[in-house]
Amino acid sequence: MTTSDRKGNRGILLLLLLPGLLALGVSFVAPLLWLLRASFSTSALGGADGSWTLANYADVVLDPFYWRVAGNTLNYGLTVAAFAVVLSYPIALFLARTTSRWRGVLTALAIAPLLTSGVVRTYGWMVILGDQGVINGTLQALSLIQTPIRLSNNFLGATIAMIEILMPYAILAMLSGFGRLNTQLEEAAAMLGANRLKVFWRIILPLSLPGVITAALLVFVLAISGFVTPRLMGGGRVFVLGTEVFQEATVTLNLPLAAALAMLLLVLFSSVIVIYRRALRALEA
Amino acid sequence: MADKHVIVEQLVKTYPGSGAPSVDHVDFDLEKGEMLALLGPSGCGKTTILRMVAGLITPTSGRIRLDGRDMAEIPVHKRNMGMVFQSYALFPHMSVAENVAFGLEMRGVPKAERAARVERALDLVKLRGYGERRITQLSGGQQQRCAIARSLVIEPQLLLLDEPLSNLDAKLRDEMREEIRDIQARTGVTAIFVTHDQDEALSMADRLAVMSAGRIEQIGTPRQIFDRPATEFVANFIGAGNFLTGTVVEPHQANVPGLGMVVFGLDAPLGKDVRLLVRPHRFTLNGKGENAFEGVVRHLVYRGDTLTLDVDVKDRTFLVDLPTHAGTLPERGDRVTLTVARDDVTVIGTAA
Ligand SMILES: Nc1ncnc2c1ncn2[C@@H]1O[C@H](COP(=O)(O)OP(=O)(O)OP(=O)(O)O)[C@@H](O)[C@H]1O
Ligand SMILES: [Mg+2]
Repeated sequence: MTTSDRKGNRGILLLLLLPGLLALGVSFVAPLLWLLRASFSTSALGGADGSWTLANYADVVLDPFYWRVAGNTLNYGLTVAAFAVVLSYPIALFLARTTSRWRGVLTALAIAPLLTSGVVRTYGWMVILGDQGVINGTLQALSLIQTPIRLSNNFLGATIAMIEILMPYAILAMLSGFGRLNTQLEEAAAMLGANRLKVFWRIILPLSLPGVITAALLVFVLAISGFVTPRLMGGGRVFVLGTEVFQEATVTLNLPLAAALAMLLLVLFSSVIVIYRRALRALEA
Repeated sequence: MADKHVIVEQLVKTYPGSGAPSVDHVDFDLEKGEMLALLGPSGCGKTTILRMVAGLITPTSGRIRLDGRDMAEIPVHKRNMGMVFQSYALFPHMSVAENVAFGLEMRGVPKAERAARVERALDLVKLRGYGERRITQLSGGQQQRCAIARSLVIEPQLLLLDEPLSNLDAKLRDEMREEIRDIQARTGVTAIFVTHDQDEALSMADRLAVMSAGRIEQIGTPRQIFDRPATEFVANFIGAGNFLTGTVVEPHQANVPGLGMVVFGLDAPLGKDVRLLVRPHRFTLNGKGENAFEGVVRHLVYRGDTLTLDVDVKDRTFLVDLPTHAGTLPERGDRVTLTVARDDVTVIGTAA
């Protein structure tokens, strides 16, 4: 291929990318820049008034409440990610390895919850976990407990619901990351004297780690940016960055502060993605 | 019989959901240190046999014995067999040395001894100094040698190779044939080797089993298989041939309709119809044989060492290979006389 050919190709490539780039620019990059500018302004106009200030960030950094919120958010994301990954792993592993002709159907079933919105499923969890919910109702009917156990309107409820809501994403991410799994490698290990447990620890687990890490990242990012589930299941007692951004933006109407908080969330995202890329590279090296 | 190293008896495998058995009452055995090739067309059940011997799949019926011990109840990881897969199945997340060490680690071999044995195994397959490499940093041939080292280092009682050379280019394949043969001779390991390449089977194996549709058609030394094929399938599968049908009218003579009398060296019952085989390179041109057929050269292909002719003899065509150093070579359209000695006419189905 000659250089001019390659230049021509690049031109075509750019042309093909143009619609996507435009859409992203208009719907993602521009609002993000506007948000960044807003976080440095004093008014809700997003800096249209020409004001510049660091006061919003000062408010965030100097207020111990926001430090607690950041800590909460991190805790929430890690807990949800850990449980969602652990619970999804056997399902994804089964779906990846089965030779059953139901495999397609089972995979569709596993990710079918994505067909209903997270809001609806959160309400579902309220019905299950509420004080008069299915679990407490049953336990009380059986006289196993007198007063309802607090399963909702707290961190526990918000966590349980979020884990289940994000599990389909975890399963999908794992399935896409299990490309190196291969039954022939397991057979080779068995031929070399590895029993089932050793085959799992030495072959299946290491080879499936990229999928596990991708799933953990995805769930973590979705959990820390979540707003609906922590808000509804937390009953106003769970404070994470998502709920606080909502609070400042729509209740307190302090848009610049909301923007600054959103930026904080963005920084949290970026650092996690850096860690993720490092981890993946370490696995592949 | 009972003191054979490996004995396979009446082995059958019918995969669930498929009507006909993929492996159908197969028997064979191996002496210690012997190399047996399983040869046959695609889908004839070679891999299935190998996987049953390895314990990766369960036979529908039949028995596999190793040193007199029935393998039925022994799980894969306790069989102490080495396997070289067609795709090598090297562990991509481990270095070359770690791959080779894996089997020793599973056996609880102490670290120092492990390192020494890995070193020796890598030496054996000429991969010294490659221990720290990643699998992806090896060429196809090197990967294959790594797979062989990994399966040999555990000192298996039986080595199983499933078309280990099919992913390699022709030149490397030739080298690796020699090398595998050499390694096998030096280690004295007993081996079953699956292939669908007849050259590979003939040049590498002590004995070969030719398979068709789940059954063994014939088992024997390369010479027996080539010179005394038990069935037409075997004769056809191993090398090219000219086939004639005739009736035995006198001892060592058959009347072939449209050709006349053909003399052969083996005994065959009088009055019976027989199939006769003449290998293309057993003909001589204008010589003095008992069987002389006059014909016209219709087509010829020069192949360096040999000249391949199609010679029309009456209403049939003989395939003839002549050595190119043998005097003047015929041209297209020449009238020639083909001769073949009686010992070079084989009666198919006659045991050697
Ligand atoms: N897991 C399976 N389920 C059902 N049928 C199978 C299975 N594996 C193999 N077969 C069938 O069994 C027969 C023998 O297959 P096998 O893999 O042993 O052939 P092979 O001789 O190794 O062929 P090749 O040279 O193509 O590797 C084939 O007809 C194949 O379709
Ligand atoms: Mg095969």
